[in-house]
Amino acid sequence: MANKSHVFIKRFGIGRIVEHQANALVFTLLVITGLSQRFHEYKASYWIIKTIGGVDTLRLVHRASGIIFALLIIVHVAVGIYGIMKKRWPASMMVNANDFLNAMENMRYYFGISNHPALCDRYDYKQKFEYWGVIAGGFLMISTGLVLWFPVNVARFLPGEVIPAAKAAHSNEALLAFLVIVTWHIYNSIFSPEVFPLDTGIFTGKISRERMVHEHPLELARIENVPVEEITKHHHTHPVDTGSNQGGGA
Amino acid sequence: MREGNRVLPYLMLLMFALLIVPGLGRSAEPGLDEDATACLGCHGERGLTVKFPSGEVLDAFIDGNKFKASAHQSLSCSACHAEFSAKDHPQRAFRSREQYSSKASSVCRQCHAEEQLKKSPVHASLLAKENKAPVCSGCHNPHTVTSVAGGKQFVSEKDHCLRCHQHAMGITLRNGEKVSLKVDAAALEGSVHTKLACFDCHFGFSATRHPKRNFNTPRDFSIAQAEACRRCHFDKYTKTLESIHYSILSHGNLKAPVCTDCHGAHTVVQARADKLKSSKRCGKCHQAIFGTYTKSIHGTALVQENNTDVPICADCHTAHSIQGAHTQDYRDKVPEICGKCHGNSTLMKKYGLNPGVVTSYLQDFHGVTLKFYQRQKDGTAPDSARKAIATCVDCHGIHDITKTTGPTTNIVKARLKNRCQKCHAGATEEFPDAWLSHYEPSLSNAPLVFLINLTYKFFIPFMLIGLILQILLHVWRYAVNR
Repeated sequence: MANKSHVFIKRFGIGRIVEHQANALVFTLLVITGLSQRFHEYKASYWIIKTIGGVDTLRLVHRASGIIFALLIIVHVAVGIYGIMKKRWPASMMVNANDFLNAMENMRYYFGISNHPALCDRYDYKQKFEYWGVIAGGFLMISTGLVLWFPVNVARFLPGEVIPAAKAAHSNEALLAFLVIVTWHIYNSIFSPEVFPLDTGIFTGKISRERMVHEHPLELARIENVPVEEITKHHHTHPVDTGSNQGGGA
Repeated sequence: MREGNRVLPYLMLLMFALLIVPGLGRSAEPGLDEDATACLGCHGERGLTVKFPSGEVLDAFIDGNKFKASAHQSLSCSACHAEFSAKDHPQRAFRSREQYSSKASSVCRQCHAEEQLKKSPVHASLLAKENKAPVCSGCHNPHTVTSVAGGKQFVSEKDHCLRCHQHAMGITLRNGEKVSLKVDAAALEGSVHTKLACFDCHFGFSATRHPKRNFNTPRDFSIAQAEACRRCHFDKYTKTLESIHYSILSHGNLKAPVCTDCHGAHTVVQARADKLKSSKRCGKCHQAIFGTYTKSIHGTALVQENNTDVPICADCHTAHSIQGAHTQDYRDKVPEICGKCHGNSTLMKKYGLNPGVVTSYLQDFHGVTLKFYQRQKDGTAPDSARKAIATCVDCHGIHDITKTTGPTTNIVKARLKNRCQKCHAGATEEFPDAWLSHYEPSLSNAPLVFLINLTYKFFIPFMLIGLILQILLHVWRYAVNR
C-alpha cells in the first residue's frame, strides 16, 4: 500500500480542464453581474455596478458571459454525444439505478449502519447530481436568458406572460445555482476533509491512487484489472459497532 | 338810562367773573397758554360746528388733550388763527369748506418754508401740481400733528399710510404706465400679514420718510418689491433661486413669476388653504396645461367635487423650487412623485386603488433600471449613455391622467403599446402583456409566474438544507472515523 500511495491516476485531459476553468470564470461573472441585479436594493450590488461602470455595462458583460456560457454548455453536450455515439466513449456520466443505491448505501455508512462507503465508479452520485444540475440548469438559464434578451421576438410566438415567467425562472434558478455551488461544490472541492486544502484534480488532471481507492474503487479496479475486492481490501473502514479509532491510519 | 348805568357795572362784573374764573381754573393745566385755554372754553365742547353756504359742515371741536400732545402745543391759537383772540371772534364768510381750508393752510407756510417742504419727495411732487395740490390740512390735522423729530406718536403705521393710500390714487411711471397706489384696507385686514406694518415690506418708508422711487415699469417695481419677502421667508426664497422661474427671470424674461405674482401683495393668504385657487394661479400663465389638467381624473375631482386629496400643480412640481419638467432629473423623480399618494395605502384604500402600483413598478426591470440610473448620477455613467426608461406618465398621462378602468382603459392600453414600441421596435399587440399591469402574480393573474416563484420558494431551501445536512453528515462521519 505504501508503495502505491504516491501513485497518481490520470483523470482529465486538457480539454476538460480548460472547459472547467472557462466555466468557472464565466459562472463567476454571470453570478456577479446577475445577482447584483436581482438584489438591487443592497449596497454591495451597487458597489459592483459602480465598479463595472454602470448598469448598462454590467448587462453587456452579463450577456457576453452568457453567450460564452451557452457555447460551453452546447459544445460540451455536442462533444459528449459525438464521443459516446461515434467514438464509443463510456457514458460514465449517465445516471443509473446504482447511483440511487449508492446514495442509500452512503447514508447507511454515515449513520454507522454500514462499515464502508458506497463503491462508486468513475463518477459518484454526488458528482452526477452536480453535473446534471449544471447541464439542466444551464439550458434553463440559456433559454430564459434568451427570452429576456429578445422579448419582442418571443412575444410574437408566445403569450406575453412568458417574459415575466422567464425572468422569475432565470432569477430563481440563478440563486439556486449560486447557492449549490457555494455550499456543495466549494465544500467538496475545498473544505471536505478528504481534499482540504484543495482538490487539485481539475487543475492537474490527476488524483492520487489513494483517493481513487476511497472514491472511485470500481474505476480503479477496472484500470488495474483486478477484482474490486482487491482494491477495497485496504479500504478505510470502521467496525460497525464500535466506530472508534480502529480504522486504518488516515 | 340811569337805571341802565347802574346795572352796567354789575353786568360787567358778572361777565368778568364768567370770563376769568373758569379761565383761571384752566390756566392751571400745564402746557397750554391762556389764549388757548380761553378758546377751548368753547371749542373744547363737542358738537360745535360751522356751516358753510355750500352746505358743508366743519367740525369746530378741538380735542384739548390731543392738542397738548401735538407738535403745535406751544403755539397760541392766534398764532395761526391771527384774526382771533380772546377778545375778537370776527364773523367770516367762506363759500365752502375747501375755500376755508385753503385759506387756513396758507398760514402753515409762515413757519414751514417751501424749501424745507420740498425736501420730502411726497411734498415736492404734490407741490408741483400747483392748483391741484392738496392743502396741508388735507393730510396733517394741525391740531393733532406730531413732531417729526420727536418720534412716532401716531396710532398705527397702517393708519398713517392708509390715510392717503386708502383713496384712489396712482402714479405714472417713466414708461407712461399708470399704477394704482390704492390699498384695499379690508383685504389687508384679511391677509396673513395683517400684523405687519407697511414699512416691514416697504423698506425705506416710514412715518417720516417717503422717498420718491423711480421705476420704469410696474413690472420693475413688482420684481424689486418681491425681494422684500425673503426677509421673513428666507427658506422659500432660497428654494426659488433653484427654480426654473428664477432661472428664466435671471435670463432677462421679466414675465417669469415672482413671489407676489402667485401670492398677491396686500392680499396674501395661506397658499395651501384653497387648492383650486392655488392651481388656478399657475393657470394664469400655463393656460393650456391647466385646461388639460381640469379634464384629467385629478383635475375633474378638484374642480367638480373640490376634492382636496388630488394633487394640484404644486404637489408634483413643488411650489418654490420648481424644476423644468423636461429634464432627465425631473423625469427620474416621477415614480417617487406619484408614489407620494399612490404608495399611501390609507389614501388608496379610500378610493379603492391598489397601493402596490409603485412597488410593483420599482421592483420590475424598468423600475430597477431607473433606480440604478438615478444612483449612477454619482459619476458612474453619464446621463447621455442612458436608455430611455418608461415611467408612470408614459402610460397614465401627464396632465391628462386618466382612469385605468372604464371607458378610458383603452387610452391607457394604447399609450402602453406606443411606449413599448418606442424602445422595443416591432413590439406586437400582445407584447404589452409582458408587463403585468401592476398586478401581483397569483393563480388568477399571471399563474405561470406565480407557480414558478412558488416552486423555487420551496425548492431552494429544500435543496440547500438537504445539501448542508449531507455535508454535516460527511464531516461527522469523518470525525468519528478518526
